[in-house]
Amino acid sequence: MKSVVMGIVGPVLDRGAGPSRWEHWRPSVSVCQQEDLLVSRFELLYQESFAKTAKQVRQDIQSVSPETEVRITPISFKDPWDFQDVYASLHDFCKSYPFNEEEEEYLVHITTGTHVAQICLFLLAETRHLPAKLLQTSPPRRKHTANVIGNYQIIDLDLSRYDRIASRFQRELREDLSFLKSGIETKSPLFNAIIERIEKVAIHSDAPILLEGPTGAGKSHLARRIYELKSARREVEGPFVEVNCATLRGDAAMSTLFGHKKGAFTGAQRDRAGLLNSADKGILFLDEIGELGLDEQAMLLRAIEEKKFLPVGSDQEEESNFQLIAGTNRNLKSWVAKGEFRDDLLARINLWTFCLPGLKDRKEDIAPNLDYELDQFETTAGIHARFNKEARSLFLDFARSTDGLWKANFRDLNAAVTRMATLAPGARINVETVKEETDRLKESWQVEAAEEADSNLIRTLGRKRALTLDRFDQVQLEEVIRVCHESRSLSDAGRTLFSVSREKKKKSNDADRLRKYLAKFDLDWARITG
Amino acid sequence: MLNLDGSMGEGGGQILRSALSLSLAKGIPFTVKNIRAGRRKPGLLRQHLTAVNAAVAIGMAEVEGAELGSETLTFCPTTVQGGDYSFAVGTAGSATLVLQTVLPALMTADVPSRLELSGGTHNPFAPPFDFLERAFLPLMTRLGATVTAHLERPGFYPAGGGMFRVEVNPVATLSPIELGERGEVIGKRVFAYVSNLSRQIGKREIKRVKRRLSEENTEYCVVETSGSMGPGNLVAIDVESECLTEVFIGFGVRGVSSESVADQAIDATRRYLASGAPVGEYLADQLLVPFALAGGGMFLTSKPSRHTLTNLEVVNLFTEVKARMKDRGKHVEISLG
Repeated sequence: MKSVVMGIVGPVLDRGAGPSRWEHWRPSVSVCQQEDLLVSRFELLYQESFAKTAKQVRQDIQSVSPETEVRITPISFKDPWDFQDVYASLHDFCKSYPFNEEEEEYLVHITTGTHVAQICLFLLAETRHLPAKLLQTSPPRRKHTANVIGNYQIIDLDLSRYDRIASRFQRELREDLSFLKSGIETKSPLFNAIIERIEKVAIHSDAPILLEGPTGAGKSHLARRIYELKSARREVEGPFVEVNCATLRGDAAMSTLFGHKKGAFTGAQRDRAGLLNSADKGILFLDEIGELGLDEQAMLLRAIEEKKFLPVGSDQEEESNFQLIAGTNRNLKSWVAKGEFRDDLLARINLWTFCLPGLKDRKEDIAPNLDYELDQFETTAGIHARFNKEARSLFLDFARSTDGLWKANFRDLNAAVTRMATLAPGARINVETVKEETDRLKESWQVEAAEEADSNLIRTLGRKRALTLDRFDQVQLEEVIRVCHESRSLSDAGRTLFSVSREKKKKSNDADRLRKYLAKFDLDWARITG
Repeated sequence: MLNLDGSMGEGGGQILRSALSLSLAKGIPFTVKNIRAGRRKPGLLRQHLTAVNAAVAIGMAEVEGAELGSETLTFCPTTVQGGDYSFAVGTAGSATLVLQTVLPALMTADVPSRLELSGGTHNPFAPPFDFLERAFLPLMTRLGATVTAHLERPGFYPAGGGMFRVEVNPVATLSPIELGERGEVIGKRVFAYVSNLSRQIGKREIKRVKRRLSEENTEYCVVETSGSMGPGNLVAIDVESECLTEVFIGFGVRGVSSESVADQAIDATRRYLASGAPVGEYLADQLLVPFALAGGGMFLTSKPSRHTLTNLEVVNLFTEVKARMKDRGKHVEISLG
């Protein structure tokens, strides 16, 4: 691999015409005097007015380093302190330079030239327009010695190559991840992978982020942690603004989001800034984004794409630069199919989509989250509540079992802990407290399950009665009732319900079988179809 | 294939240069490991690489590991090819070190050689041209091969840009010589070189030499050289005795007074004259390899340097000639064969 150095002639540091020029340190020459650096080519750029210095430097390099070919190239910036001018010239040079990275290794010498030139070279190297490492030379430590060569250092901008820096980044990364997880030692590989990805995106991008996940999976909490992390990293200056779109209805929705002008509608007695405005330079978290009306969606899309929007009743656009985090517990694609969500808006916001798993899919994280919730309770209520050993394992066993449906996810866990900690005698949560709580949880989930069963059953039996049934019976009876609704008579329904077993029987009495089954639940044909 | 450990003895570049010289002249391939191990910048530096490349050219050698920073080098010479060569050497890799590496082999090559060496000729970290020309090369001629050198222009550190030519008329076999005594001092010559600097510096240096060394049979000369790139100053004191000439050098350094520069050369000369040994410290380093190739010989020196001891070890690895050291009271006798 040949080393090729690129640098700008230093009008001050590199100058010198008489023999005494050898008595002071000249950075460009010193590059070629290093005993352990062999430069096979030096691309020396110079401003026209310093052609003499460039030629002198070339001659002197050839003397101290006959192995080095020196090419001098004039460069056209007029004012070496004008950033645009210098950057453009150097950028042009880089674009036209035939880099051959297979055979040559490039070093850009940043010791000479104005600070502006150094900055430009650095930027070009950092963006790989100039595929080079940085070369920094420094004068000898002591003046008045025979050594005028000084030292050099090669700086690779790929920071991952430096062990100590890399381990610093590792530590920072661990801290960030832990921060996003609120310090909870989560074990779920699925969840941890999502958090790692979010960390990357959250720190380095201000593109929209979409958080999918069931109610209570922690979308809102996570959105806030992302904001706090970015805020700590000075990636955002503005505030965190949060709204659940399900609470925005009708005209108020537009006005809440985008603001309004005084007199825009009845009751608009003064100007009002919308949430988008408040979120300027910050983060706007729109939870349940699928609940937004189509008009609001259109306006939001424009606000994301162009950073501009029109407050209600205003003819003057306002600007706001915010990062959007959207939350949804539904599959927005199916909403698009139904025409309820704009596909262009979805396309814009699902660049980074993260599906947060529900708690029942993160069984390994229940224990650490349980401790977290206890700590949180202590912080808010000031009570240091703890499980006894038996109670803790009883609760965890239930939580991780198939009974642990965790329909509202962390919201359920939080509520459960709050109740247990509050009810615990002497702040010790015992087996009795746990049993009481698990029963309560089961019941509430059954209610929801029953509701979800959408619910011929509840309509026919009444909610209370329906909830006294086993889930086994709930499912069966729900289907039986549905078939009855679709049938002309009890016998017709019986034939449908027992169609397989009746094939094998000589004589069938399907209607009677069905009547007996229904009777067990105090039901009959008339009550079902009536 | 000979295996060397580069960290033995002085542990620097000298092992490599001596090994290259002996390998070329004897046609023995070698591998050296741990080149300059433990130095701040270990492995081959540019000056070593230049020496390796010159040896490759002269010996039509195959080489592995000839890269900057390489700590292992394998060198397999085929035949030594006398003839015309020109070697351009950067500042720190003094051109005289390159000559030192390739010269022994060319002294017994089939045909005469003419070398043009450019770069540093007067460098504090290498034998300066004056020493080669008037102390070292005449002894090579006495071994049988006529070697002469002519300085076109000096190249001082750090500007370099000097040039000298060397002509080598080889012999089939070198004959051993003995430098057991110095004989009477016939005379001294004192040169003060100034290049791109005030002549006054040279005058002050001569004045200092006159004050501190006997003026008997001594010639003085301030030499103003032109054509070299950078500033340079040097005091060379030749001590011509019946048996040989020794040369002692003081290097001008920016910020050091002319008197101190002269004192370096004067002190070395006085130590040499007081010791009575014919061969000074630097010359002793240089003589071991050619003496070993001549198959024998001996010389007396004062206390041998680490470079000398290291060369002794390397010589014993490459040749069947046994190099030995004997304590002769005030002096040390080094004998080969």
